[in-house]
Amino acid sequence: MRDSNYKAEFEKILAREYFSSNFDLIRKNAFKQFLDNGISKKYWGNLRFTNISALKKNTFRVSEASDSPPENFEYPEPIIKEKYKIVFYNGHYQRNLTNLPDSIKILTNHEYYSETQKKVMQPSSSPFDLLNTAFMDSGMCLVIDKNIEINNPILLTFINSGEDKLMIFPRIHIDLGKSSSIQLLEHHLGSETGNFSNATTFFTLRENSFLKHIRLQMDTSQAINMGNVHLEQDQNSKYYLSHFGLGSDLGSISICSNLNGKGAECHLSSLGLTSGHQHLDAHTLINHKSPHCTSSQNFKTVLKDSSSGVFNGKVVVNKNAQKTDSTQSNKNILLSNNSKMNSNPQLVIDADDVKCSHGSSTGEIDPDALFYLRSRGINEKTAKSMLIHGFISEILDTVDNHGLKNFIKVNFDKWIEN
Amino acid sequence: MLEIKNLHAKVDKKPILKGINLTIQEGEIHAVMGKNGSGKSTLSNIVTGKEGYDITSGDIKFENQSILDWSPEIRSLNGIFMSFQYPVVMPGVNNTYFLKAALNAKRKYNGEKELDAASFLKIIKEKLKELKMDPSYLQRAVNDGFSGGEKKRNEILQMLTLEPKLALLDETDSGLDIDALKIISDGVNKSRSSKRSFLVITHYQRLLKYIEPDVVHVLIDGKIVKSGDKDLALQLEEKGYGWLER
Repeated sequence: MRDSNYKAEFEKILAREYFSSNFDLIRKNAFKQFLDNGISKKYWGNLRFTNISALKKNTFRVSEASDSPPENFEYPEPIIKEKYKIVFYNGHYQRNLTNLPDSIKILTNHEYYSETQKKVMQPSSSPFDLLNTAFMDSGMCLVIDKNIEINNPILLTFINSGEDKLMIFPRIHIDLGKSSSIQLLEHHLGSETGNFSNATTFFTLRENSFLKHIRLQMDTSQAINMGNVHLEQDQNSKYYLSHFGLGSDLGSISICSNLNGKGAECHLSSLGLTSGHQHLDAHTLINHKSPHCTSSQNFKTVLKDSSSGVFNGKVVVNKNAQKTDSTQSNKNILLSNNSKMNSNPQLVIDADDVKCSHGSSTGEIDPDALFYLRSRGINEKTAKSMLIHGFISEILDTVDNHGLKNFIKVNFDKWIEN
Repeated sequence: MLEIKNLHAKVDKKPILKGINLTIQEGEIHAVMGKNGSGKSTLSNIVTGKEGYDITSGDIKFENQSILDWSPEIRSLNGIFMSFQYPVVMPGVNNTYFLKAALNAKRKYNGEKELDAASFLKIIKEKLKELKMDPSYLQRAVNDGFSGGEKKRNEILQMLTLEPKLALLDETDSGLDIDALKIISDGVNKSRSSKRSFLVITHYQRLLKYIEPDVVHVLIDGKIVKSGDKDLALQLEEKGYGWLER
């Protein structure tokens, strides 16, 4: 996609009557910043090793109202039979399919910004952040009051379908009140179309709140899926992410968390399985801004064929963030000579009383382990699969829901078989 | 059972084995003793089928068939087992799952019905008791967080489960306290039979007090320089290896 294509699509967004013109200036500003540097690898250092050819060679148009689901559209069975759900179709929020408990308030972005009097978020840590601000065309905000505990997971499904290649820019806000807790299961899937989805989610976690976030990226092999997550965490709030990158041609998960309050915790687990010419990115930035905060990162990738991946993880410990406890690990297995992984774990520490560790390893399946299993009569193929299973089990085990865990396992088995 | 003929092998172009001749009959226990670097582990690794060794001449026959072209799994399925000197840690690979897969692979190969989970557990719990291993073992990952003794017991457990025709015990005594050594030797001794052969590889004589060999070989610089009965082990204990070195 060229600049001229982006420009033409941007004009369409500005011309939309049903959008508030209050946002125009913010959009224009973000779009200008985007155009200034495009997706230049020179400017965006974190994208140095990202294979963005899928984005370059395809052209997308913004999703219009006419790209809503046809009347007879058959929705795929939800992965878990939960009563609470939210559905996005080609970037359009499907109010009629949504079911949430009364304790959750649903707002449009416009309502959200005017009700909460918050400034419109304008992150700029990547070109995809900028694109989301420029093009944000759909979205939804969940506001959960204090002391609300919702035990059933909320299933958030993103479905892409249709003939044309669309680009969609959902913007989601989730505000979790003091001492409240929810579980969010985000499922991205598509039919044959290769859409470019660039969703940004902002979480505000108030004191003592708890959020378990599971993200399954299972788009089709033609799709592009960039997921941008921004977190503001107050005192003693806890965020747990389990991310599974299985699909798409080009996929990325980017997480920026500000640990603003004392004792806040951010725990990220991620598994990427790549094949063909697929490319998956993972970017993290954990900002320890207060004392006694904990962060952990456990990112794993298994790569087949000519696929590639990037891990760019950064932990910043600010001067006053004493007693920080932070771990960061990135481990990758290359199953073919043509697969490639770039790992860049970073640690910036400005405090002196902290416990921080980071490590990264990339290699083939351990030949000694393989020999050990084979020497017990287990054939090479099964032995490899057992070892990869072992490698990923740590991430899989972060999912408590039995049905869901099984679903991921089945998909993993399929991946390994092919 | 096992016949090694004039075996020469190199690792990274460096000769390690320089003409090994060794024949083990059915039901015999042989011990190979030698210092570090004499080629003991290379020998057991090659018999088990580990890659990375360049066999320049000689042959290994198992039940009268040359096995040099056999994969490690085929060797195992035919009845060769090695207790590893350094058992490999496999985080995330469950012991029960692993053992069941190994046993069922063997049963399938032998044309027997594969075991279901319940019958497998029954067998394995029996063996755990024999080796004084805690049943919680079954929930743990293979060798993950195991002490030295637990790892070696796990090796013997696998041996008892797979019931090989030929078991190579590579430095099974290293890192064991006396209690663990006794438990393991008991396990080995119980599995002795007229049909099963052992090759015990060790640095020290102490294991041979518990597992009595029929023949003792001394390996120095890739060659067997002396063979004898179990008294040879005692001699080595007393005099060291110096008197056999040229």
